[in-house]
Amino acid sequence: MVPIQIEDLFYTYPSRETPTLNCINAQISPGDFVLLTGPTGCGKSTFLRAINGLIPHSSGGTLTGTVRINNINVSTQPLATTCEQVSLLFQNPDDQLFCTLVEDEIAFGLENLGFPTDKIRQRITMALEQVGLTGFAERRIDELSGGEKQRVALASICAMQPQILLLDEPTSHLDPRATRDILSIVKQLNTEIGITVVLATHRVKQVQHLCNRVWLMHQGEICLDLPQSEAFQDTSIFRNLGVELPEPEESSNDTQHRSSFHIQSKDTLLEIQNLYYQYPSSEVHAVKDISFEVSRGEVVAIMGENGSGKTTLLNLIAGLLQPDVGQTTIDEIDVRRLKLHQLAGRVGIVFQNPDLLLQAETVCDEVEFGPKNLKLKSDKLHTLVNQVLDQFQLTDIAEEAPYSLSRGQRQRVAVAATFSLHPNIFLLDEPTTGQDAQHLQLLMDELCNHIRQENRTLIFATHNIELTQKYADRVLLIHEGELIYDGTPISAFTDHNLITKCSLMF
Amino acid sequence: MAVRKPNLESRTKILTMMICGCLVIMLDSPSALLVCFLASLLLVTSAIRTLKQLRLLLIFLFFTTWGLIYSQGIFYNAFPRTVLITLVPVDFPLIGKWTGGIHVYREGLFHGIIQSLRFNTTLVIGCYIVWSTQPRDLLLALSQLRVPGALAFMVTTALHFIPVIVSETAAVLRSQRLRGFRYLRFNLIASVRGVINSFRPILAGNIRHATNLGQSVESRGFSPETTTQRTSLRTSQMGKLDYSLVAILSLCLICVVGLKVLYFCYANGIYYVSWLRGVYTFTREIL
Repeated sequence: MVPIQIEDLFYTYPSRETPTLNCINAQISPGDFVLLTGPTGCGKSTFLRAINGLIPHSSGGTLTGTVRINNINVSTQPLATTCEQVSLLFQNPDDQLFCTLVEDEIAFGLENLGFPTDKIRQRITMALEQVGLTGFAERRIDELSGGEKQRVALASICAMQPQILLLDEPTSHLDPRATRDILSIVKQLNTEIGITVVLATHRVKQVQHLCNRVWLMHQGEICLDLPQSEAFQDTSIFRNLGVELPEPEESSNDTQHRSSFHIQSKDTLLEIQNLYYQYPSSEVHAVKDISFEVSRGEVVAIMGENGSGKTTLLNLIAGLLQPDVGQTTIDEIDVRRLKLHQLAGRVGIVFQNPDLLLQAETVCDEVEFGPKNLKLKSDKLHTLVNQVLDQFQLTDIAEEAPYSLSRGQRQRVAVAATFSLHPNIFLLDEPTTGQDAQHLQLLMDELCNHIRQENRTLIFATHNIELTQKYADRVLLIHEGELIYDGTPISAFTDHNLITKCSLMF
Repeated sequence: MAVRKPNLESRTKILTMMICGCLVIMLDSPSALLVCFLASLLLVTSAIRTLKQLRLLLIFLFFTTWGLIYSQGIFYNAFPRTVLITLVPVDFPLIGKWTGGIHVYREGLFHGIIQSLRFNTTLVIGCYIVWSTQPRDLLLALSQLRVPGALAFMVTTALHFIPVIVSETAAVLRSQRLRGFRYLRFNLIASVRGVINSFRPILAGNIRHATNLGQSVESRGFSPETTTQRTSLRTSQMGKLDYSLVAILSLCLICVVGLKVLYFCYANGIYYVSWLRGVYTFTREIL
């Protein structure tokens, strides 16, 4: 029996004219592990939602064609019936977990299906065992790490014992170790229990050795559907679509990219001294006794496991948080002496979720917002805005609403809007989240070029070793809030113990 | 780590809020309303775990009290009313003539105090529910109280996202300031526009979170139409304390309604008996 059979599937969102899914025909055999990849906005998430019945049951728009699970059309059977056969794991664990305790979360689906209590308890035990969280039943979810939360989310759907598991970018928020853990659990479910898996991701390298089939999507179509052994023989199609290649490219270009630039001066721009910070709701310090200096023109990566304190450190540098102890000076000025609006032009930050920065009606207004607040004269403002729009290739979409753009474009707008203030220190938090290889490379190339040309400083937080190797002059490794390494990326990544300690080993 | 068992069952908390909400509407006397408010404060202290919660509660109370007293003090339009302070005299050019003068009225301030006690009592019990109830318990309680599934889920989701909304709002406001924006400045239009613009990412974030959570729970078989068919891992039983509290509060509400009806009949000449004079006095003076 074919567990999933998709025929002539078209889907158009209510507000759009062109279909997001465009004539998809495919089928999956029992026990298959399918890697679904493609550039940002190609329709991967929509496709998964069509397979599990969320489209059309919980969505407007127009769906034609059929998705059959065990020969039953999912659009004609209730979602509650489909969810016993197909489960979907979402990208961000914080958005999908509903309860306070681990066992309540795992029980939630079973309670909805009307399972008796004793059966629910059995399934909870089994599901926790499957995801390696035995003994976690009574734990509070908000006390868990990002990787543990995603495992709880996985356990909550495993408990429903589906035949098919759909995963939508399940590791994009996780550090390499948590990523490895989640993927090995999924593989185990696939090989030992025989669950059919469809995993959508940009990170082809991490999944290519686990799957037995590869689907490549582009503009709502499956443009490549091959067994894993054949899919990567010709990588040109992946390269053309800007999708991460299965094998690492030659690294000589990367080295040249970084070494072609050099730090123009050794002026200290940022000085951090004995920084401590503890969140009011926490019992431990998120940042502990961190001290370092950054010179003008440097590109610095901050790396560490989920919850190690990277984002907290960026927020402290930006002045968004006030340290409990210690001092941050930018250009020899103590950040605590300045109000936030006085830091504009000295430091700028783009969050992991760039949407938090987008508040204007058009892309042009967004880029204009910062310089306008600094009371730039209108002729200079106009020139500056046009220049920044041009630098970040946003001129064509200058009059578009930021929220109508793709994720990659939105991040580019957020970066341009921050860059328009020409901050001496540009802070970027995890630029890889939800980005395909092409968008990420374009963004980082542009940003690093401008930063280095203008002798400014870029500090970015990431889990991605390749990104650091390619763009950073220096890496700071943070572990449990403490700075444990400050030096070149090459020597950091050749130290096996160091990268294992920081959960950076995949 | 085990979660501390709450003192009151979730249904009791919801019923307490509903009954107290009705009670404070029926009461007019500041002393009776003050008793209700103090009792609600006593309740919320059992749910306050962090300094942040305490600070948040105090901020809520300050702004609602100040806002209500101030607005009622100025805009009170019933009679009689006594001018305490004149902010803009009648003969002030343009604004004075146009508004007939802006004054703070004694009766308005008094009315503002009563309104703020009513509002704050309900607000404090609301905080108690949010801080002491898990989302799933709330969903279960609302279902047991026969609240429609869609509404129950909406309420629960809204409460679930309060911490996320607070943290994202802080991030949005701070990031705007870091881009040179000042909320407090002379250009009022620009300030208002900035505040309105800041709602955009907050709203978009909320919609995104709610959509994702909605899809996640629907993918796990949740449907507002079938909440009555749900089973529950945890059974939730009302204990003696719960029944006693609900009974006492219900009795109080019934008594207050009864006394108010009697007083209304007396005051409007509909019904009067002399041996109830003590009741009429009690209702007028105390309730």
